[in-house]
Amino acid sequence: MNTQRTKSISSDSPSGISRRTLLKGSAAIALGAAAISSVRGTVKQTAAGASSGPLGKGKVIDCHAHLNHHSRKTWEADDRKLIEAADKLGIDQLCCSTLTPRWPATLDGFRECNQWTAEGMRRFPGRVLGYCYVNPGYGREALEEIRRYVGDHGFMGIKLYNEYTCTEPVVFPIVELAVELGVPILHHASHSHYFVEDQPRLTDGGHLAELARRYPEAMLICAHISGGGDWEWTIKALRHATNVLLDTSGSVTDAGTVEMAAAVVGVDRLVFGCDSSMTAGVGKIRGADLAAQDKQKILGGNMMRLLGRRKA
Amino acid sequence: MIVDVNAYLGHFAFRRLRHNTAASLLAMMDAKGIDKAVVSSAGAITYRNAQAGNEELAEEVRGHSDRLIPYAVINPFYAGWQDDLKICREQFGMAGVRLYPKWHNYQLSSPCCRELVDAATERGMVISIPIRVEDTRERSWLLNVPDIPLDEIVELVKAHPKACFILLNGLGYTGCPLGRKENGLPANYAIELSRLSALLASELGQLITNLGAERLMFGTGMPFNYPDPALVKLEVLDASEADKEKIRSQNAMAWLRL
Repeated sequence: MNTQRTKSISSDSPSGISRRTLLKGSAAIALGAAAISSVRGTVKQTAAGASSGPLGKGKVIDCHAHLNHHSRKTWEADDRKLIEAADKLGIDQLCCSTLTPRWPATLDGFRECNQWTAEGMRRFPGRVLGYCYVNPGYGREALEEIRRYVGDHGFMGIKLYNEYTCTEPVVFPIVELAVELGVPILHHASHSHYFVEDQPRLTDGGHLAELARRYPEAMLICAHISGGGDWEWTIKALRHATNVLLDTSGSVTDAGTVEMAAAVVGVDRLVFGCDSSMTAGVGKIRGADLAAQDKQKILGGNMMRLLGRRKA
Repeated sequence: MIVDVNAYLGHFAFRRLRHNTAASLLAMMDAKGIDKAVVSSAGAITYRNAQAGNEELAEEVRGHSDRLIPYAVINPFYAGWQDDLKICREQFGMAGVRLYPKWHNYQLSSPCCRELVDAATERGMVISIPIRVEDTRERSWLLNVPDIPLDEIVELVKAHPKACFILLNGLGYTGCPLGRKENGLPANYAIELSRLSALLASELGQLITNLGAERLMFGTGMPFNYPDPALVKLEVLDASEADKEKIRSQNAMAWLRL
């Protein structure tokens, strides 16, 4: 396994652009000089930084990323491309899960995914943080998997996909364990004004708001508001769910999304993400009409605050 | 110099747009370093009579012809489109058209559409085709407008070798003849980059390899979209500065005869 870090664009970019200028943008919208930190730490160091410094000293954390499933022939090169893309865009850390290519995930399927995520954390130390992905339908085995990877392997959170709607009772033990461990759950979510046939148990912002009411101490992240259907609906559905954060990732770059989310739920509840749509993820934060300090919170400060609440 | 071949003015029926007046869009362009933009009416996408949108656009861009290049939205199945095209070209100075076959419910292969393409080409107008307006997952409960399948575009460009097409808001070109090397198609179409990846799979990089940078153009989709994602693509793209300059402005300047 190659554990070598890739070069920063500041030293090899043909255009001579730096990570700082990229995130600041080419014109008027700037994130502030503190936005970029050259220091990359482990989860533990990150959490320590969040608790001691002003909004984490400018660390940029992608809250929603994926490593490639090893059935993909080019998985290793593609994982490296992800890190290279993060380098170019000034993203310090990526919170990654590995997902099964087919759903619902089997027990063996999500187990090997988590093993690969752990390997990815070792290949890219300090760059890749791990989400433990489980299918809640496996009950005790799913809980054991979370204890193993969050507890023993230092994963930073739990990733849930579309096997169950998050309000189904089978999901509750997972949420209770997340609360016990003090880690967030990133939940796949989308709301369209039609039935999504291939995802019959899809979770939306309304479901997450209901789950948040049931578990007010849980830290829930509503995935990809910019790739989850009607984002205006989702933002409004989550207005009062104060323990749900909104992940800005997704391929959709609709102008005004980040500003509306900031106005309705507040910047403290927004976390930056790409979900593999790298330039879309960075571009919409750079382009949002928000103060540099608020962008700083979204880019990393809020996620660092979340990571700092880990109990074990 | 940056030329955006994918911009709009006016209101969209299903979502509030910001920066959708000439003054506001120009301010946004100034902030982002975008010099010129090709604009069409967002309202005309859902107006029954698209010409009303073209009239609004003509009024809005008056006095800004150095930076805002208006294109007409024409529905070839609506009464009087030939008159509309003539007015848009001759009175409003519109240098191109934008087609919405799925929103306006016609086939690109239909005789009326083919007649429009020929008529626009005879007038020296560029034909610009947004593959989509919005992400389909966001769609209103009122309608279900699919993206234009790229194979329908293949047939169109083949049928009109003398026409000039600019394809907007699309991706997946490398998975069809449009984005493949030596595809046997006329070099009469250019591809705008707003939805192309510039990292990871980098469809943008693949298209430069397969078609040449001469066939790619910068576009944002503003004010529907933030302009920054498209700008970031150019900034991180692994390409020569000469190729980036072609994409940034030179190709559009040549095609649009600016």
